[in-house]
Amino acid sequence: MTATTNQPKPYIVAERVCKSFGAHQVLKDVSTVFHTGEVTVIIGASGSGKSTLLRAINRLEPHDSGRITIDGVDVCDDLATLQRQRCEVGMVFQQFNLFGHMSVLDNVTLAPRRIRRTPRTQANDEAMQLLRRVGMQDHAHKYPWQLSGGQQQRVAIARALAMQPKVMLFDEPTSALDPEMVKEVLDVMRGLARGGMTMIVVTHEMGFAREVADRVMFFDQGRIAHDAPPQEFFSNPANDRIRAFLGQVSH
Amino acid sequence: MLLALWPQGWSRQQRSNATLVAALVLMVLALSLLGQLLSFFPDPIGPNAQAFSEGARTTLWLTLVSGAVGLVLGTAAALARTARWTAVRWMAGVYIWAIRGTPLLVQILFVYFALPVLVPGLNLPDFAAAVVALGLNVGAYNAEALRAGLLAVPRGQTEAAKALGLGRMHVFLDVVFPQAFKISLPPLVSNFVALLKDSSLAYAIGVVELTNVGNRIQSATFQPIATLTTVAITYLLLTTLVTQVSNAVEYRFDVEGRNR
Repeated sequence: MTATTNQPKPYIVAERVCKSFGAHQVLKDVSTVFHTGEVTVIIGASGSGKSTLLRAINRLEPHDSGRITIDGVDVCDDLATLQRQRCEVGMVFQQFNLFGHMSVLDNVTLAPRRIRRTPRTQANDEAMQLLRRVGMQDHAHKYPWQLSGGQQQRVAIARALAMQPKVMLFDEPTSALDPEMVKEVLDVMRGLARGGMTMIVVTHEMGFAREVADRVMFFDQGRIAHDAPPQEFFSNPANDRIRAFLGQVSH
Repeated sequence: MLLALWPQGWSRQQRSNATLVAALVLMVLALSLLGQLLSFFPDPIGPNAQAFSEGARTTLWLTLVSGAVGLVLGTAAALARTARWTAVRWMAGVYIWAIRGTPLLVQILFVYFALPVLVPGLNLPDFAAAVVALGLNVGAYNAEALRAGLLAVPRGQTEAAKALGLGRMHVFLDVVFPQAFKISLPPLVSNFVALLKDSSLAYAIGVVELTNVGNRIQSATFQPIATLTTVAITYLLLTTLVTQVSNAVEYRFDVEGRNR
């Protein structure tokens, strides 16, 4: 029995998802399944639709047609369901998006205090644990503007974890960072992956994909052009477009 | 000004609180002592000190009440202007368009003289009519100041709050509004100071406020320089105190330490 509960099961399912911005179709019949405990890295040229898929999963960008389900429940406009789903799905943004008028601690405790009605002292304790996990415990009372980019992103990860989500979505989490800060963020993400967190990561960090991913997905012009374990994906690129893309990002 | 008085070691909150309290105390003191202070002055100020001080009190009271009305109206109209429903946006747009496009004096006269004719039985006393007109007026300007603030909050803030699973109410109250309000504060303060001075137009419908008092004394004593100077200095005193309060509020929101 214990073995079956640890078995990966389908958690987020996308079926023939389409999305257009005006005349430009960014997602074309995208179908895929993300399993529990799986770390998926999505790569592809900018504008290929990878971020849009991520944003469609928690409905920051509603899809036009097709279906997305989280744990069997449709992602749709019903507010109560949507808010429940968003609690289960943590998201980390390229631009961190920390709340500038709140201290680090308040950023992390806001959602549990408002949604779960966790008392402030308890929420603070839990937040401090999370901040320790991302190495930011000494900065709990600072404001976002006092932190470096890498520090802000680590706080953003702690904030997303505060609702104890089952999946974490990372939308180019290191793209806005100076090179020397990329590592500290990736280290935190590595730790999460090792802890068994289900993760979907849009990134250009090929080293991270190679090392941490269970599966690498290549987006090209709104479609999943290739989907393979990292070993296979990188050592034996499936087609010329992937080869060309890998050649570009490695320089 | 007041903010600079407090000890170095005090936190932002402490300074802000101290300034707020000090400014409010000063305001009450100034109003209650104004009569006595003016009574030491020679004719025509001294004998009319009581009238001046009552006028100043009416002016401040008129400003505070219509300022509060205007803040509520302004917030509502700013929200309506950014609402999803076209009809609501349109209504707010019409309100702002009509108020900003007509003179305040006409609005005051309209509420006092025309409204009772339009709506029989709605005979507002002069003070109430002035509050309605001034409140409606400053509300329209506040709406645009607040809308500018709402639009200036980056979209990523709303998205991050939504992504956490926060409901619409919390997204707005906890994340968007505090940041929008901070951005809107300087123009809101300008509107409030303008309101304090524009409240003098209530003179036209017979509200006995500061300007009205000054003009009456001036024409009774034939001493325009002394009386009107006293009126002007009293306005200056009131606006100075009001800006102290608003500076304290602004300082409280200034988590980035940009106001030194």
